Amino acid sequence: MGSIKRRDFIKTVTAVGCTAAGLSAVTPKKLNATPENILSKDRYGVLVDTTVCIGCRRCEWACKKAHGIEAGSIDDYDDKSVFQEERRPAHDSYTVVNSYDVPNAEPVTVKVQCMHCDQPACVSACIVGAFSKKENGAVIWDESKCIGCRYCLVACPFQVPTFDYHKAIEPEIRKCDFCYERTSKGQLPACVEICPVEALTYGKRSDLLQIAHDRIHRNPDRYIDHILGETEVGGTSWMYLSKTEFSNYNFPKLGNSPAPGVSESIQHGIFAYFVPPIALYALLGGIMYLTKEKSTEEEK
Amino acid sequence: MKIKIISVIILLLLFVNVFHAQSDHKNFDFNCSLCHECENPTKIDPCLKSCPRHEIITVHHTAQQGPKEIILNKFEGIEDIFEPVNFSHRAHSEMSSMAGGCEMCHHYNPPGSIKKCSDCHETNRMRTDLSKPDLKGAFHRQCIDCHSIWDNDVKCADCHAENATEGAQSATKESYAESYHQPVVEPGRIVYETEEMDGVVTFYHNDHVNVFGLQCNSCHKSESCARCHMENNVLADANRDLEEKHAVCSSCHDVDNDCESCHKEKIVEGFNHARSTGFNLNEYHGSVECEDCHKAGKGFKGLKSECSSCHKDWNSSNFDHSVTGLMLDEIHIENDCADCHTEGVYTSQNCENCHDPDIKYPDSKPGTLKKR
Amino acid sequence: MEHSFVPSQMTKKYFTPWVTVIFIIALIGLAILMLRLVFGLGFITNLDNQHPWGIWIAIDVAAGVALAAGGFTTAALGHIMHKDKYEVLVRPALLTAMLGYTFVALGVCVDLGRYYSVWHPLIYWNGNSVLFEVGICVMFYLTVLYIEFLPIVAKKFIGNVNLPGILSGLSKPVDKFLRILYKALDKTMFIFIIMGVVLSCLHQSSLGTLMVIAGPKMHPLWQTPVLPLLFLISAIAVGFPMVIMESTIASKSFGLKPETDLLGDLGKMVGPLLGVYLAFKVGDMFIRETFVYLTELTTESVMFSIELIFGVVVPLRMFLTKSVLKSPTGLFIASMLVIFGVLLNRINNFLVAYTPPYEKVTYFPSFGEIAVTVGFICLEILLYRLFVTYFPVISVPVEKSLQDSKYSLKRA
Repeated sequence: MGSIKRRDFIKTVTAVGCTAAGLSAVTPKKLNATPENILSKDRYGVLVDTTVCIGCRRCEWACKKAHGIEAGSIDDYDDKSVFQEERRPAHDSYTVVNSYDVPNAEPVTVKVQCMHCDQPACVSACIVGAFSKKENGAVIWDESKCIGCRYCLVACPFQVPTFDYHKAIEPEIRKCDFCYERTSKGQLPACVEICPVEALTYGKRSDLLQIAHDRIHRNPDRYIDHILGETEVGGTSWMYLSKTEFSNYNFPKLGNSPAPGVSESIQHGIFAYFVPPIALYALLGGIMYLTKEKSTEEEK
Repeated sequence: MKIKIISVIILLLLFVNVFHAQSDHKNFDFNCSLCHECENPTKIDPCLKSCPRHEIITVHHTAQQGPKEIILNKFEGIEDIFEPVNFSHRAHSEMSSMAGGCEMCHHYNPPGSIKKCSDCHETNRMRTDLSKPDLKGAFHRQCIDCHSIWDNDVKCADCHAENATEGAQSATKESYAESYHQPVVEPGRIVYETEEMDGVVTFYHNDHVNVFGLQCNSCHKSESCARCHMENNVLADANRDLEEKHAVCSSCHDVDNDCESCHKEKIVEGFNHARSTGFNLNEYHGSVECEDCHKAGKGFKGLKSECSSCHKDWNSSNFDHSVTGLMLDEIHIENDCADCHTEGVYTSQNCENCHDPDIKYPDSKPGTLKKR
Repeated sequence: MEHSFVPSQMTKKYFTPWVTVIFIIALIGLAILMLRLVFGLGFITNLDNQHPWGIWIAIDVAAGVALAAGGFTTAALGHIMHKDKYEVLVRPALLTAMLGYTFVALGVCVDLGRYYSVWHPLIYWNGNSVLFEVGICVMFYLTVLYIEFLPIVAKKFIGNVNLPGILSGLSKPVDKFLRILYKALDKTMFIFIIMGVVLSCLHQSSLGTLMVIAGPKMHPLWQTPVLPLLFLISAIAVGFPMVIMESTIASKSFGLKPETDLLGDLGKMVGPLLGVYLAFKVGDMFIRETFVYLTELTTESVMFSIELIFGVVVPLRMFLTKSVLKSPTGLFIASMLVIFGVLLNRINNFLVAYTPPYEKVTYFPSFGEIAVTVGFICLEILLYRLFVTYFPVISVPVEKSLQDSKYSLKRA
């Protein structure tokens, strides 16, 4: 340090400061531009009526067919013994139907898949922005960006994304993609299309909410006054109706604030237009400059 | 001027609107307020209440008058995994007679002809009106509701034939056009062992039907097929709670207070009006509904055997004596009833009021006997 | 005669019996790492969809970053605040940080499903992602650390570049290049030093923010919005104990006299830092009223108590005791406790506190995971030993007159 003059020091500090400020002016826009995270007013959703579901598991079969996963014969899905233990979505099954015993009533079958949150934690968390919330409500994953860090699995409040741990090269993050390919062609999601009893109603989220409230209003004996996904974690595209409390079906108990809310506000607090880092830089520069002066004076 | 024209147009439109609505409903015989909340519903704002669908059902007919078989082939999936269902309509309507009747499936039918399911339920799942299930969903919900009670393990192939890839005809299900529900064999006497009380309840099904004239569906309101067809089924009487068991009888019997009339120590004989009450229901009263005499409701008590306790307004001018088998002659027909039947007892005759003691009934008759 | 400390190369033999053992453990770790690369993560780890992160993230990355904090804390002390007497500790700490972060990066790569795409964050940005910030900061900081170490390498070769064979003609230009590089770095080094501290503060805190998004999946004893602050303070607090620990071990290993006075002075600063950390940790616990969870006997409450008592309270008391600050053993033990506390805290935050909603089996690291983690630590030790043997990193006492200005050129 001894060989630089004080004037040089000031010059360089200023130059660095300017560069950083310039960078900060450019980057925030870029940062916010990616990844795509649209919350369209006309986004679609699915209303799952658990009081209608018959647990036929045809949705599991159709889902696999639609995503090019080995699905086997449709008759194999008549096997009800799989209900003995709770299954979760996996890399080879993006949706599963579980059966839950409820007090004083027949068991209830409940389909599980990605909820397609309105404020998705995975979209917020993904290091490379491989997840995006599309205009039609789907939260989808982009293979070309993913690095396989599995932070999305950590972040998801519903514990939905899965990872293929037994693949050494190109392992994928896999989850329900709301049949993005089919819906962009004007088709229904595969599970919705095959459901024999239309326990899954596909439509605009706002319409579905209205219908759901209407059903609850007209059948107070059939439904509890709670639409899972209306407000949970800031709202989800997939919503559920039920006769009994959702805790019976092992849904995680979640608040109404969006899952990525706290971490994003901390993050943007630390990085508010790069002011805090630059301020810290300037502060340390100042200390360095002042103590240097002191120590050189002492030397003299 | 402009304003006037516009207001005329608006008025005209309103009129057309109202007229149109009324023409739509011209067969309706309901109060508007049955369906509409406001006084002047319009097409734009119909202000509908939640639909009282069962009250709107207007067409009633027997099971045999409906179609025998309906082939449900209205919709096509992108991939047809299954063949259309041949629905045995007649057999199902016969079955429903013990349950909810036609309206179990036909839950909405405003005046006019019978509505087809597809009149209301859209065939396309991708649709704008999501308030009702689509046709496929509606059918499956309707069928599976009963079929799953019938059999916990309902399979698609129970109703559908799987679509054969090579287009083989053998994959089609047989026709049900000629199938019908076997006539139900009525039970006679059923003895219920009661756990809560000692003794038994002896139930004469045949008496209730033949003597008391109850219709099947006045008790069997919502029977499931499984009630009869499944062994050890969950709906057997043993599995019903006390309230459910009594509910069936409670429309006629006072189940809350009068236990003893049904719960006896031993099996009792069937109902016999003559033996139980001393009043023989002969051919005149056999066809009379119980409630026509026992007007006090549940209990069926408190009636005397005198005719006048019921037939208070009968007198000689309005009673056709010939129904008793004795046509009064011209002289006697003028008499008051009490001239011959003293003390209000119409089974004994007293001729002494007018005649010498040697003239007695039935040696001397006040008219001619008729074959009844 | 007054003694002064000058960084020198260590002259002891590289392989000792212990080094050989460490070498073998490192080789085993690398062999198992090969299995992971060929057969995938599932083959050697106990990770599943409920437990996406294991010890490779909790220990190799999170704890690795925290324990490499000595680099930036001593840099701040020695270079930014110009406490010149601590300058002798800067180089070893810098080397530890450099190696530490290198292995953090390697640890991340091993854990990534698509390790070959590790550079993606450079082109695909997500400003909302905490992990993105951590990733970018670590990448930049690693570069800064290499730049900071570069002068030591350059200085060694300046004046004696002797390329073999046909490359011998290039010896002169390379020497010239090294001289220019050394000069340029000498003039601009302060930029990198400050940048290093800023980057460290950013990602040390953001590592704490990482788990905030897990929300209710994380046990309330640890889940708090002040996690980033706790992580930053604990990282700063563990920096000096790491330096004390390394220095003590290095002195022993290379047969040098431990610099107890200097380390004691360094230790004096640890107490207050731990005190601040404890205050925040306990204060947060009382504000969020999470102490109720300590009344139940669960894995979480036990682990939290161990972390707090043996990792913070006990060493805090020790560092505030004069006799401990004067004894090499006392200093070493107290430092080890702090290091243990921070290590446990990172493990707790990333593994123990993380209770996924559909857990069927609880996570415990597999042999493969442990072998790779231990192997990496061993490799790090071996590289440290290699570096201090070949480059002047550790300071030894010499006569004062020989002392040279730190970054100035070797006089020709």
